[in-house]
Amino acid sequence: MEGDEILMQNIKNILTSYETEYVEDYKKVWIKTKLEKSSDLLEVAKALQENGLRTISTVSATDFLSENKIEMNYFFEDILTKRNCWLKCDIPREIENCSIDSITPLFAGADWHEREVFSMFGIKFTGHPDLRPIIVSQDFYDKTPFRKDFDWDAHEENIVENMNMIAESFANEEEENEKKLDPHGSDTILNWGPTHPASGPIRLKVHCDGEDVISIDPDIGFVWRALEHLVTKKDFIGAIVAVERLCFMDNINSMVGYCQAVEEIAGVEITDFAKYMRVVLGEVARLSSHMMGMAGFYNAMGLHTVMMWNMDMREFFLDFLESYSGARIATAAIEPGGVRYGLQPNMLMELQSALDKFDKTKDDIRAIFIKNPTMKLRAAKLGIITPDEVLDYALCGVVARASGVKTDIRIDEPYAAYADIKMDYVTQKSGSSQDRLIQIFEEMEQSIDIIKQAKKHIEEKIESGEFDPIKDHMVKVPKKLPKGEAISRVEWARGEVLMHLVTEDKATSPYRLKMKAPSFNHTMMLNHLLAGETLSDIPLVFGSLYICQGDLDR
Amino acid sequence: MEMLFHVVVFPGLLYVLLWTVALFWFFRKFMAALHKRIGPSFNGPGGSFQTLFDLSKLLTKESITPKGVNPYLFSMMPLLAATIAMLPTALIPWTPTITVVESQYSLLGLVVLIGIEPFLLFLTGFGSDNKYSFLGGIRILTQMISMETSFFLAALSPAILFGTLSLQSIVEQSTWLSFWILLPGFGLYFIALLGLLEQPPFNIPDAEQEIVYGFYTEYSGTNYFLLKLAEFAEFMAVFAGAATLFLGGFKGLFFESYFCLFIKMIIVAVFMMAIRASTPRITMKHMLDFSWTYLVPLSLLNIAWIMLAKIFIFGAVS
Repeated sequence: MEGDEILMQNIKNILTSYETEYVEDYKKVWIKTKLEKSSDLLEVAKALQENGLRTISTVSATDFLSENKIEMNYFFEDILTKRNCWLKCDIPREIENCSIDSITPLFAGADWHEREVFSMFGIKFTGHPDLRPIIVSQDFYDKTPFRKDFDWDAHEENIVENMNMIAESFANEEEENEKKLDPHGSDTILNWGPTHPASGPIRLKVHCDGEDVISIDPDIGFVWRALEHLVTKKDFIGAIVAVERLCFMDNINSMVGYCQAVEEIAGVEITDFAKYMRVVLGEVARLSSHMMGMAGFYNAMGLHTVMMWNMDMREFFLDFLESYSGARIATAAIEPGGVRYGLQPNMLMELQSALDKFDKTKDDIRAIFIKNPTMKLRAAKLGIITPDEVLDYALCGVVARASGVKTDIRIDEPYAAYADIKMDYVTQKSGSSQDRLIQIFEEMEQSIDIIKQAKKHIEEKIESGEFDPIKDHMVKVPKKLPKGEAISRVEWARGEVLMHLVTEDKATSPYRLKMKAPSFNHTMMLNHLLAGETLSDIPLVFGSLYICQGDLDR
Repeated sequence: MEMLFHVVVFPGLLYVLLWTVALFWFFRKFMAALHKRIGPSFNGPGGSFQTLFDLSKLLTKESITPKGVNPYLFSMMPLLAATIAMLPTALIPWTPTITVVESQYSLLGLVVLIGIEPFLLFLTGFGSDNKYSFLGGIRILTQMISMETSFFLAALSPAILFGTLSLQSIVEQSTWLSFWILLPGFGLYFIALLGLLEQPPFNIPDAEQEIVYGFYTEYSGTNYFLLKLAEFAEFMAVFAGAATLFLGGFKGLFFESYFCLFIKMIIVAVFMMAIRASTPRITMKHMLDFSWTYLVPLSLLNIAWIMLAKIFIFGAVS
């Protein structure tokens, strides 16, 4: 047996020592299992953690109304050796008995994920240190919006009362803050958001003493659109418009993740041409997102030049997306079965002019903004994330790689045509805010390189007649899907997006889609990174974590 | 009659208003070019009417006074700030003949009037009953104390070199030689000026990403307009002060006129804009560190250099 297989066998050995319904291989790097008893969870999790699976990607619940049970899904990952374990177990559905042990004491990264499941499904996590509702507004407290029997219409009827309730609880909270704090002291609770010039729709409750930050309690959910519920009301193709709204800045890759899950359940293999198109479109979307990410970093320090310069470049990439799909931002260009449109020669010309524009501008940007001494003064020692914290808090993407952790789904679990693309991990060393900026810039260069490779490949194959750019873009996916479930991971602009799709028999729409998005974990880190710093550092660290409220709230 | 002209037209109220509008437009256009944008372009030639329209909009908008503040203090501060920001124009020798108030101590008047301005802005922050404004007020006070030391010391250097506090006679005595001697002083004056005017990288008191808009947060309508007017009128006073003290004022290569002074002021403004477009904001901590470990000691050294130069170079020549 090879080394990898021995390591995988270790996981299997652990799992088989407990009562399980099955232990099976799933894809190349996953082991899928289902526990007989949910009470074993904590022990299994501990054993897995000791075996190296230190990261919990997400916790997802599926409500099976007809079988009167709720199925819990835990996705454990070992980022270093690329082994993953998908653990399931059933718990009762009645709200009184609906509880399970919390794994947060073991896995710090599970904290908010368990709170989310608590808010959406009413599952109580015994032993969770801070089980407050998250994302949902006050009118959803003690309700279970994502359960299949939740009556949304009845809830919407009382919309005025609900709004008054939210306003009231804000006022109450302010009063309580006044009481809690010493009236003669200098402590105060400062709202950083949700209508703050730099925050976007998120509220950080900053407990500060003058300029010094004592603690931060993020309040999220201001752009909660219940996307995971919304997709279940649409058919499999219509769902892509909900999925792409995870965050408009990189909409392509989230659609790729969803479509891969649908294709897996349908048992469809897409064409090579579509795979390469997914790479090209995905990298263009990644670039346009990264450009905004760099801009966000500098905007946090009051310098808008980077944003303007990057916008200038980004327009050319959006021109390409527009020529391909007719839309610049919300493209809806990826569909289950391939990519939505064929490829015309003029589209590749648009792409080439975007690449040229980038090559022409990148040296200026590097000289002025990547090597900027004032930026280094502020960011070089701020918001440092160690590799251990990356693993424990399940950080991913730009943030993880800036700390020197080699993780990139495009390499770890290649999808689309990434297996054929020459690429390597791009990492930094110290994990400071400055490194995260440099990381974004270097990844932009990497993306350009990938686009060039893919574009060359497509052009050669069209030349030789192996690709038919007009016909090859789609294969047929049946309208009705069999019962099944699948997970699919993609390297999104901000990090790992994990889609967990469940379908019923003869399904025309998803039964349950869990979208794990990276900003959720990154926002969890804010208190840890900012306690003890000053008010001036909040926007900078926030900007450097590359957070988008779209995928934070979903 | 002549006095009335000076007060109302040049270099009085109308001139300040025109300067404010024109400088605002120039800042927008210049920043736009640095940002690879176009900037205002619809109204008037090169969008130059845009600022006028903005100004009339602000003047006609409702001025909101928040609950729980002293309305008298709240509305008086912007008025005071604008007035005091305009006063230095009376002291500056705009042309060889036009100085509204000729005084032996006009340099003293200039630096004191410029130096008092942050105090008023600090009071606007205090009077707003808002956490962000309060923090902005504290920040402006901290920055003022750190920056004014070197500002005053830098402004002192021409006075020592020429042995006079009169701006008129400083301009008259300035030569190419004195320009070179005063160059380090000019650099220090310029840096301290950035701090005093809250320009990047020292725009800490109204850092909108951190404390919304600092002391401006609660102001709107006419009051906001007055505060902005105060800011831009102070720009003018400080630029004109820099040009007069260090760059020879209205003196030019071939002729003496207001035009030369104007060009010099614009050069200072362009420098300020270029820094604004390329430098992110630093934090309070870095500002204090920079000010007290580098700027103030260097200003003192500069004074020593000026004294030496006065005795051994300037004195020897003249």
